[in-house]
Amino acid sequence: MNYSFDFASVFRNFGPLWDGLLVTVELTIAANAIGLTLGFGLALLVMSRFAVIRLPVTLFIEFFRCTPAIIQIVWFFYCVPMLFNVFLGSVTMGILALGLNLAAFNAEAYRASIQAVPREQLDAGVALGLNPFQRILYIVLPTAVRNSMPVLLTNGIGIFQQSALVAIVAVQDLMYQGKTLATQTYRPIETFTIVALFYFAVSFPVSQVVGYLERRREALAS
Amino acid sequence: MTFDFAIVLKFQHALLLGLWTTLKLTLICILLGCILGFLVALARTSKNAILRGPSSVYVEFFRGTPVLVQLFWIFFCLPLVLGVELSNMASGVIALTLYMGAISSETFRASLKSVGREQLDACVALGLSPWARTANVVLPQAVLRAAPTLLSNCISLFKESALVSAVGMADLMFVGQNISNNTARPIEVLTAVALIYFVIAFPLTRAVTVIEQRILKRLAV
Repeated sequence: MNYSFDFASVFRNFGPLWDGLLVTVELTIAANAIGLTLGFGLALLVMSRFAVIRLPVTLFIEFFRCTPAIIQIVWFFYCVPMLFNVFLGSVTMGILALGLNLAAFNAEAYRASIQAVPREQLDAGVALGLNPFQRILYIVLPTAVRNSMPVLLTNGIGIFQQSALVAIVAVQDLMYQGKTLATQTYRPIETFTIVALFYFAVSFPVSQVVGYLERRREALAS
Repeated sequence: MTFDFAIVLKFQHALLLGLWTTLKLTLICILLGCILGFLVALARTSKNAILRGPSSVYVEFFRGTPVLVQLFWIFFCLPLVLGVELSNMASGVIALTLYMGAISSETFRASLKSVGREQLDACVALGLSPWARTANVVLPQAVLRAAPTLLSNCISLFKESALVSAVGMADLMFVGQNISNNTARPIEVLTAVALIYFVIAFPLTRAVTVIEQRILKRLAV
């Protein structure tokens, strides 16, 4: 291999990469805000007694879980403006697409942990005279969030990685800036390696935290 | 606005060809990725630090970066690094196999851990060679326990395979985007493509649930 590396040409263009990373982080945080809240709502609806509520929500969740994220994003960017005649900024569109995707995955995580809330606790809630809303807020929610925390974090960091997909529809995130830079400088190896390291530097610590939480829970359970 | 879903039928041939590429790519990568994943899982649980170190770095790196970045790296950089031309299919297979290897190795590692320490001691007592121990005692149990998660990994891979469209491989996603751009009918075409993916992935996710319950029952006995 006779290739002379030139990482300096990438570092000279550090500015755009850094801006890209900020957009990526913004997408991730906003999508997680949607995913964590909407996901919980969806999880409650999917366990509803009424099929009229349950079926559409199930369909929504399964559809987002069973199709590639890239087609969801492309679909969102092309079809939503045509169907609903709304034109939002590209970052907002990216946030909505990623947020809905994450909500579907988080709903599954919440559902498993909501089902694990002991029946007696809910009965105790009734006995104490809490109304259904209070029971969800004070009994179900805290336990569900605690139990599903590792999965929620894993999903959250997953969306951080999936957010690279919005580069395909020209949102100027880290991946997009990396692609542009690689073309401009003719230095794909250096650029993509550094972009990969950027992503890795953010997601690795979080996955270590998830691992720690899981080990601690196993230790507490045994 | 009017919909014209008949337009999708006009292009069914191209879409089927794309689907075939997607399926071929997915199946090849599942096969190679599972083998790689099992070997990497063995390496990561070995006592030898020379095996453990690099395999851990490999797994963490591939799990910690977006698949899109991995694909771009392999499409644009690997030919430069190796100094050889790689076909689209070859790069796609390499990228997705490495990804599948990384995620399935974690699955195998968890299932290897669940093989009881006593069984390994029993192997020693029976005088089995390390090879016989791995192939006849560890592997069957690891595969059985890993099966549901492994199957979900396969479904993820099927979905992630749509990313190769971004580097110009003519898979289902790529064909769909092409048709939608040329006919200016994104709603019909992209929805149809999404439905094709859904129709394949959804029954598989149901199957995972069923298999999981069966295996849990079997292991409980």
